[in-house]
Amino acid sequence: MAEMWITMGPQHPMTHGLWTLRVKVDGETVTDTEAELGYIHRGVEKICESRDFTQITPYCDRLCYVSAMTWAHSYVMAAEDLLEAEVPERAEYIRLMAAEVQRLASHLMWLGAFGPDIGNLTLMTWCLRDREMFLDLLQELGGSRMHYNYPRVGGVKRDIPIGWANRLKAKVKLFENRIKEYEMLLDESTIWLVRLQGVGYATAEDQIDAGVTGPNIRAAGVNADARWTNPYSVYDQVDWEPAVEKPTSVKGADCYDRYRVRMEEMRQSCRMLLDAIEKIPGGANTHYQPGDEMLITKAPTRAPEGASGFSTYECTRGVSNFYLQGGGDGRGKNPYRVSIRSPMFITIPYVAKTMIGYKVADIPAIMGSFDPCIGETDR
Amino acid sequence: MGTTITKEQNTAAAQAAADNLAERFADAGMTIEIIAHSAGKKFDFVRITCSPDQWRAVAKHLKHEMGVNHCAMVTGTHYPDGGADRGWEVAYHLHRWPIENVEAHTMTVHIGESLEGDDIPMEFEIFIPLAAGDSPSVPSVQDIWVGADWNEKETWDLVGIDFEGHENMHRVLNPHDSPIGFHPLQRQHKIRYHDFNEMYDDPQGFDRKPVDEGHVK
Repeated sequence: MAEMWITMGPQHPMTHGLWTLRVKVDGETVTDTEAELGYIHRGVEKICESRDFTQITPYCDRLCYVSAMTWAHSYVMAAEDLLEAEVPERAEYIRLMAAEVQRLASHLMWLGAFGPDIGNLTLMTWCLRDREMFLDLLQELGGSRMHYNYPRVGGVKRDIPIGWANRLKAKVKLFENRIKEYEMLLDESTIWLVRLQGVGYATAEDQIDAGVTGPNIRAAGVNADARWTNPYSVYDQVDWEPAVEKPTSVKGADCYDRYRVRMEEMRQSCRMLLDAIEKIPGGANTHYQPGDEMLITKAPTRAPEGASGFSTYECTRGVSNFYLQGGGDGRGKNPYRVSIRSPMFITIPYVAKTMIGYKVADIPAIMGSFDPCIGETDR
Repeated sequence: MGTTITKEQNTAAAQAAADNLAERFADAGMTIEIIAHSAGKKFDFVRITCSPDQWRAVAKHLKHEMGVNHCAMVTGTHYPDGGADRGWEVAYHLHRWPIENVEAHTMTVHIGESLEGDDIPMEFEIFIPLAAGDSPSVPSVQDIWVGADWNEKETWDLVGIDFEGHENMHRVLNPHDSPIGFHPLQRQHKIRYHDFNEMYDDPQGFDRKPVDEGHVK
């Protein structure tokens, strides 16, 4: 049969955002693919060159609306490296909890969007219901439902409210049981298993060579996780272990393994949250005023020319990096250059190539299992 | 308790990596330094400053002899006031992580504290200063790390650094029909409201247009 090119996207349920996958098909079989990105390129790196270090945080929130807190956290770490700012330990604990709540919310958004791809619409309603619990927690911190602007260079904007710890504990304990419900719904569903198992194999070495990181690589049987390989915050003080999954084939992890590893990762986030809320210095039910030395230390506002800051951060979709250079406009008040490494920008072209050899109907399953997010991809 | 990498492991690994590089490239005239981050855990990393001619040899050594398996990001920077020797700079950030394939139905669970030698995660930063001029160019490492492919595409697209030997170079974030020679992160291009005071002078945006309208490079 003659081969032909089909364009999936930019408006297609499979894409989870705006991008185009051009697929060359021979009958039902994919023989070549090309990814086209850049539909929502906003020039964040360029904008950041004319903003000072505090003003950049909201732009980093908007890199990915599904995991705003982790992106802002990733940025302030690089800014602290550049400006040589120390962070109080209580603020590190609060940031850790905020990031892990965000990870739960982000994985729930992923699972909720992945379900309809596979033909399970129930999942979407369940996941969005539970995600709302965690968005409420984040809203109490940042004041807004999605873009929090909460981490600050040198600390956090304000303390956790009175009662937040109790609400967190209640919600996390409820959610730990909800994970079991999801697994009962999915792990015994024939459609779910048939669509995911044996599809979209990717080995650990191929993935790391191509730059793919995060849960996708842990699904392939290695517990690489920037939270311990490049330690930051207080992840060495709380109780957790990196989620890792045994791949089902020598060809690496399939879509089902990638689903499993994210479920395990949500469990680990719950475990971490319950432990961190007990260990937080200063106590979980005290409230310090904004600007207190328990929450934030005063950071320099200018960075000299030649200084640079770099952060490696385990974002919800993989490892994100920020690289900042000092000495920009306003005698060092702005950065000279801001460079952002988005995990998905590298992953999407890789995933497009792993689809070769599978059927057209497998494309949504393979793409969805890698958790694409286009906001951070296009920046 | 979560596993982690200790400061002692990190210091030893950074020293070993710097020694290895210094021995291999002893007479090449490169700068190899151990730098500590100034925030967080204050871990060390290795910074290499080399010329474009040396870059592929360094990259091959890092990948094949030192197990550096992840090309995290490629950053191009334009320094219009940087002098004749440093009109542009390319920074590569690389990571070494202990990642190997596993058999089916098995997994590798590293305990961070017990990792040794080349298994200890390490961060590498490579600076490649380029001479001022209209055609900055660096050899591509697309064939050494597959992950460098799209990073280099992005750097060419946004900054205009040419990667010699890069196959299938094309626009990725800018529109595919952008003018030849238009690379928005070069410093002569200004965004519409470069200073926020401009915004107050023109609150309704009637005068708004790119300040580099009609000019390319």
